[in-house]
Amino acid sequence: MTASIRTESLTKQFGNGVTALRDVSITIAPGEFVALIGRSGSGKSTLMNILGGLDSPSGGSVYFDDAKVDYMDRKRLIHLRRTEVGFVFQQFNLIPTITAIENVAYPLLFNYTPWEEREQQALRLLTLVGLADRADHLPHELSGGEQQRVAIARALVGDPHIVLADEPTGNLDSKNSAEIYRLMRTINQEQQVTFLVVTHERELASYCDRTIELRDGTVVA
Amino acid sequence: MIGREVEFLRLSARQLRSKRLRVVLTVIGIAIGVAAIIGVVALGEGIRYQAIETVKTQSDLTLIEVYPQTDREVTQLITQARVDQLRSLPHVTAAAPVFSDSYATKKQTFLQVLAVRADEIDEVLRLKYTSGGVFSPGANEVVVGADLGTMLQRNEGIRMGDPFIAMVREYDEQGMPSDKEVPLVIVGTLGGRDDKFDRMMLIDMESAAAIRGSEQGYDTVFVRVDDPDQVFSVVDRITSRGLEATGAFEQIRAVNQFMDAVMIVFMIFAVFALVVGGMMITTTMTTSVYERTREIGITMAIGASGNDVIRLVLYECLLIGVVGGVLGDIFGVLFTSVMNAVGRPFIIARLGPEFSSIFGSEIARLSPGLLLAGLGIAVVFSLVAGIYPARKATRMNPVEAIRGFA
Repeated sequence: MTASIRTESLTKQFGNGVTALRDVSITIAPGEFVALIGRSGSGKSTLMNILGGLDSPSGGSVYFDDAKVDYMDRKRLIHLRRTEVGFVFQQFNLIPTITAIENVAYPLLFNYTPWEEREQQALRLLTLVGLADRADHLPHELSGGEQQRVAIARALVGDPHIVLADEPTGNLDSKNSAEIYRLMRTINQEQQVTFLVVTHERELASYCDRTIELRDGTVVA
Repeated sequence: MIGREVEFLRLSARQLRSKRLRVVLTVIGIAIGVAAIIGVVALGEGIRYQAIETVKTQSDLTLIEVYPQTDREVTQLITQARVDQLRSLPHVTAAAPVFSDSYATKKQTFLQVLAVRADEIDEVLRLKYTSGGVFSPGANEVVVGADLGTMLQRNEGIRMGDPFIAMVREYDEQGMPSDKEVPLVIVGTLGGRDDKFDRMMLIDMESAAAIRGSEQGYDTVFVRVDDPDQVFSVVDRITSRGLEATGAFEQIRAVNQFMDAVMIVFMIFAVFALVVGGMMITTTMTTSVYERTREIGITMAIGASGNDVIRLVLYECLLIGVVGGVLGDIFGVLFTSVMNAVGRPFIIARLGPEFSSIFGSEIARLSPGLLLAGLGIAVVFSLVAGIYPARKATRMNPVEAIRGFA
């Protein structure tokens, strides 16, 4: 299940007067694998946070399949985060006290999904990222690359339209980084999941269908 | 639904396990507060119980004295119909009307006289005689209380079976007093009762009326109740009929009022202990929320609502409260056992062996209700203590929470 995602004249101004986004209009088609590049401070993370419903824009609109997202509606945003987007962070950000499979199953807990079903889904996704044998390990027992694979599995568990990955390989060495990109690309192609990946490494952007570049809050390419 | 809550609980339990020392200290803090409350209440209830038992065994609890209400404009007379009404109340076995009078001996010993019907006296008053027995109707025979008996014997040489002259004061139409001499004979002496009967003289009502030369109205009715536990319900029925009641039951009432006051003061101190425990929970959980700022941000990013986050935090508090409450109950049970094992010999040694009977077998009394209340209080305190950190957690901006520690 994928949808097209579109922004229209998106702006974001912070309380301290900093303008992070200026008139950003982009469209991401279903099943695309898009790299979002730009220097730090160019507004990449802000755009990701707005698309993921973690932050709200100061102006402009976001459409998921032509349905406008109402950023004033808390329930709508929770629903957005639960079922329409999946997040992958630079720091992996797994819950340290629970095992890999429980981390993957964790988002579905808030959906009232029974444990058996969640466990089944989580195991399927761990298998997809090649970590089925590590299911019962705690995050600190896994390597960085393994932790990020668990995080990708977690991002996929809600069956989202799009996975938003904010510098997913920023904390990994080049070998692991390439593996993570290959994995995301495979998932993108086999599962038809849209990816928007923030990176500042241009060679990793070569794994992507196309590139959107932000400079000082404006789309330049 | 239930499965989900169980899983929230399991997640919370694991969070707590990851910061073991802090949680253990907090749990002990709550446990001490709960144990303090349980100890204080158990001790207070023990003392209350012993005091009431003492009243029950040492005084004539089931005897109630009924008289007309005095603070009303219209005093209700005690008629035979009223006496019959009292007699027919549930749990009342007997009711005897009496009237009071006062005579004096020739040497001016005051005689407080209670006129009772000879056939009702034993059934209601259940008197115990050290010598002699009840009087016969119309024979000018009297029964004296223990103290009065001793006094008459010592001061005036009047003994059991001795006839003596009582002076009965009368007033003529001009209001001039004159004393009438009435011959009486003591036919019985009562055992000591530690109440007003010790100083009284009981006389047959027929004789007493004849001495005064006219029919006398009743001023009091003595009522006997079959069961000590029903005394208060009978008293309530009597007072609801516009009469007043007095008797040994008032001592129990006084004990209860006194102990209630003492307990409130005790409880204030015990609650302080618990409040400190509650503050520890607030501190522990607030620290924990700050330490987990990022984790909570992630949780919200992957779909948790504010209520989910509140639930996660409150479940941790709930667990601390339940474990603290159970531990507090255990401490409380240990504390009261020590009190009963060590405290009793100590009290007997300090106050002398006669107190060993007063402080029967237990000086601190536990009840399942008290233990349950201890647990309940711990849980409520914990949840209240968790409100602040829980709200703090939901107010976090997930973006800043995630980025803040990156």
